[in-house]
Amino acid sequence: MLTVSIYRYHPELDEKPYMQDFQVDTGGKDIMVLDVLNLLKIQDRGLAYRRSCREGVCGSDGMNINGTNGLACITPLSSVVKNNKLVLRPLPALPVIRDLVIDMDQFYKQYEKIKPFLINDTPAPGIERLQSPEEREKLDGLYECILCACCSTACPSFWWNPDRFIGPAGLLQAYRFLADSRDTATEERLAGLDDPFSVFRCHGIMNCVTVCPKGLNPTKAIGHIRNMLMTRAT
Amino acid sequence: MSDKRPVNLDLGTFKHPLVSVISICHRISGVVLFVGLVFLFNIFDASLSGAAGFESAQSLLQDNFFAKFVTWGLLSSLGFHFSAGMKHLVMDFGHGEEIDSANMAAKFVIALTALLAVLAGVWVW
Repeated sequence: MLTVSIYRYHPELDEKPYMQDFQVDTGGKDIMVLDVLNLLKIQDRGLAYRRSCREGVCGSDGMNINGTNGLACITPLSSVVKNNKLVLRPLPALPVIRDLVIDMDQFYKQYEKIKPFLINDTPAPGIERLQSPEEREKLDGLYECILCACCSTACPSFWWNPDRFIGPAGLLQAYRFLADSRDTATEERLAGLDDPFSVFRCHGIMNCVTVCPKGLNPTKAIGHIRNMLMTRAT
Repeated sequence: MSDKRPVNLDLGTFKHPLVSVISICHRISGVVLFVGLVFLFNIFDASLSGAAGFESAQSLLQDNFFAKFVTWGLLSSLGFHFSAGMKHLVMDFGHGEEIDSANMAAKFVIALTALLAVLAGVWVW
């Protein structure tokens, strides 16, 4: 039997959130945290959490698992459970709608700010905009982000300034377009980031790199943006 | 309803990786150094006030355990703040930004601080 302690909050019934303990029979198997939640859903049909693809591609089930942000669907119990206890809390810093479901509005607003689409003001070619293999390689480690928000909600700079600091997820995507050889809006993009908060609230804590379920490195991308901003200013 | 929504920011329930602990300690050591300046300026002021003042400042730093301890604490804080600051400079040059190298750098900062703290202790006592 695995003891699972879950953060509960029902907006219409509860004044305050509380932790509720459940006992789950995992059959001694090393299942994923999401499987445990699905078993719990049988015990308590009111339990709310997001999930979709169950294989770490959609980024719906980001949550705080035994103190560390991660995707429930690709986190095996063996990698997090100690003393037979699993603690599940919603991702930090964003408002809780119900149980493990958070309001990601603030996160998406920051993502919107960096204009996450290719901007190219030259006439579109007949077939497609070509890239050399080297140019394409620059996007590796950037385009794979699934926007699960594990990194941004693990970032103390984002905790205290979610409205002004873009956050690791948004900045990784900002660099994804700055590094794209087909994008012609580099100057406008940099101008939009050139203030004390958007980029420079990053203090290199590296919680983002520690938690990213896809193994990406926002800290490095932010370093590149900072260098571009510095070069631009001189 | 939206303004009543709770937020999960109970820091005690989070696991803080080593790199994160180093980062917050960097800030704390900075505050400690700033506050410690009051102590240092006081002694400095006394030492400049004349021969008698210099004597008293000297004997305070040589004989008073508490004064020695504070001096050692400030020197150790400086050692940590300096080491962690150097780590930041190295990171600005694009090194130590991978999780493995960052953890190594964090351990190096701790080792260097321990060494500097011991040296500071030898010097103070």
